[in-house]
Amino acid sequence: MSEIELRNVHKRFGSVEVLHDVSLSIEEGEFTVFVGPSGCGKSTLLRVIAGLEEVTGGQIFIDGRDMTDEEPADRGLAMVFQSYALYPHMSVADNMSFGLRMARRPKHEIAEKVARSAKILRLEELLDRKPAQLSGGQRQRVAIGRAIVRDPRVFLFDEPLSNLDAELRVQMRVEIAKLHKMLGNTMIYVTHDQTEALTLADRIVVLRAGRIEQVGAPLDLYADPDNAFVAGFIGSPRMNFLKATAKGGKRLAVGGIEVEVPIATDVGAGTEVQFGVRPEHFDAAHGIDLAMTADVIEQLGSTSYLYGTISTGEAIVAQRQPGRNRAGELATLRFDPANVRLFDADGLRIR
Amino acid sequence: MTTPDSSTGASRLRTASKSRRAEMRFAYLFLLPALLLVVVFRIFPLLWGFAISFTDATGVAPSHFIGIANYVQAVSDPNFRDSIVNTLFLLATLPIWVALPMVLAILIDQGVPGGKLFRAVYFFPAVLSSVIIGSIFNVVLRYDGSFNAFLGAIGIDAVDWLGSSTTALLSLLAVQFWSTFGMGVLIFLAGLSTVPKDMVEAARLDGAKMWQIWLHVIIPSLRPIIEFSAVVTTIGVLTSMFGLIYVLTAGGPGTSTTLPEFLIWLEQGKLNQPAYAAAISMMLFVIMAGLAWLQIRIMSRNTNL
Repeated sequence: MSEIELRNVHKRFGSVEVLHDVSLSIEEGEFTVFVGPSGCGKSTLLRVIAGLEEVTGGQIFIDGRDMTDEEPADRGLAMVFQSYALYPHMSVADNMSFGLRMARRPKHEIAEKVARSAKILRLEELLDRKPAQLSGGQRQRVAIGRAIVRDPRVFLFDEPLSNLDAELRVQMRVEIAKLHKMLGNTMIYVTHDQTEALTLADRIVVLRAGRIEQVGAPLDLYADPDNAFVAGFIGSPRMNFLKATAKGGKRLAVGGIEVEVPIATDVGAGTEVQFGVRPEHFDAAHGIDLAMTADVIEQLGSTSYLYGTISTGEAIVAQRQPGRNRAGELATLRFDPANVRLFDADGLRIR
Repeated sequence: MTTPDSSTGASRLRTASKSRRAEMRFAYLFLLPALLLVVVFRIFPLLWGFAISFTDATGVAPSHFIGIANYVQAVSDPNFRDSIVNTLFLLATLPIWVALPMVLAILIDQGVPGGKLFRAVYFFPAVLSSVIIGSIFNVVLRYDGSFNAFLGAIGIDAVDWLGSSTTALLSLLAVQFWSTFGMGVLIFLAGLSTVPKDMVEAARLDGAKMWQIWLHVIIPSLRPIIEFSAVVTTIGVLTSMFGLIYVLTAGGPGTSTTLPEFLIWLEQGKLNQPAYAAAISMMLFVIMAGLAWLQIRIMSRNTNL
């Protein structure tokens, strides 16, 4: 049985429809990441699950029970906010125990749970401090600690790392992954950062404009995107999209050359399609050659990125072994047609 | 080691501090008008008042130094004592002055229907002068006034709200409260808009009920506003009720609505005792400073935010 199931969830703010008919099931123990550009509805979807926003239509099941109209606190969830949302006038210990104290739980139970949670997150030394006396990373750990104390079935994270600096973000990302391994709870995590999504998720839900574009394991989304949006959003630098025209069968004219791609269905001659190749697939040992003028080369040591144009004037980014190309010179990109992803005019994948 | 570099560095430093001094002089020039006003109209009268409080000045005859006689007189003056008791009575109602605007502001902030209208209506009296408010309530509260007419209509006997020593101070209190609580609501609304929504949502997810969220999350976040409101209200009660008293009750009946401020005016203006009035002013000043200090001490207990 799924831990969380959304059936045809709609959410409207006034006349603006933020979530369009979202259906999704999340399995027990799974780390699910909602990812998408800002304004795609991912945070709203999380808040709908949490009960902080009411749905306009549809149902939410948690552990098999219809929770659509239940209070947030009765859904068995805990949430970690982007702003941490700690109570500034309470100590770390009081922040973590707030829920239990409000529920009038016995003192020894509260002390025990706070101690356990503090141990997991290495907060023992900080229990008497106020949030203002903590660093950003420490505050985030307290916010997670407060969630653990509640013993939730499901953890919800709303862009928890956005307020941290780059180095700390990577560190906390690893900590959250470890925490998931250790606790084994179902976790739902919202981010606009595809790297976070790829590194943390068991399953990624890609959202755009209030609709689910694709759901899948990180590598499946990377290798087998359903549409041009997912192909472009997952992977960094993003996939190159070139204009191509079908020449009949599986042959395509693209960037001044002709290529035969291994697709199952033929594309009608004259059809305009989008020809997608990832930057990292331009350094193949065997395959088709494509000439590129590199305007800028970013040398990252272990690898280089070439930014430039091909003969049709279309912009292109290619990842290459370092030191092989110079800016302003012609570079020969080589790709394996098996790594080409084709999309029709509406952006849907042609397989 | 001396290098050309370090010597230019030092000279640059000297130039910088010289230009900084010039800048400071310029800044003082701008501060001067305001400073002059404060000195002439605030500091000087304060010191002057302090000085004449030790004399028998009347403004007409030459004055003599009489030590603390005015202060001794004040302590044994039943009028002064009554005015202090009246003040303490008003200050005892301080929690209501702070709490009611806060509760109303929280209700408006929660989005009760018509909240914006309430906010405007509550604030309206704040734009009226106390003399106008006093005149309105003179009509409303006098024995044959509209309030008694209303009470009569629902079968309650008429009360001489402003003329009876048991109700005059309460009536005065009610009118002052009516005319100022809208400002309190506005201040609390401003404070509430700074309470992070996330924090309230986190408390909801933590299972706190609405009243628990108010008590444990929202109100503690409003602590600076509560402090401010308490200090401002206290000062208001001690220093800005003159207009209302003058128009509504003239301090009576007897001394039942006389506050120190009104007594000062009475002694100075009516009874021609400026030195004695100055002594009372000094005592009021000390009491106010003491109260403000005490409030800040109490409020800032246990906080290290």
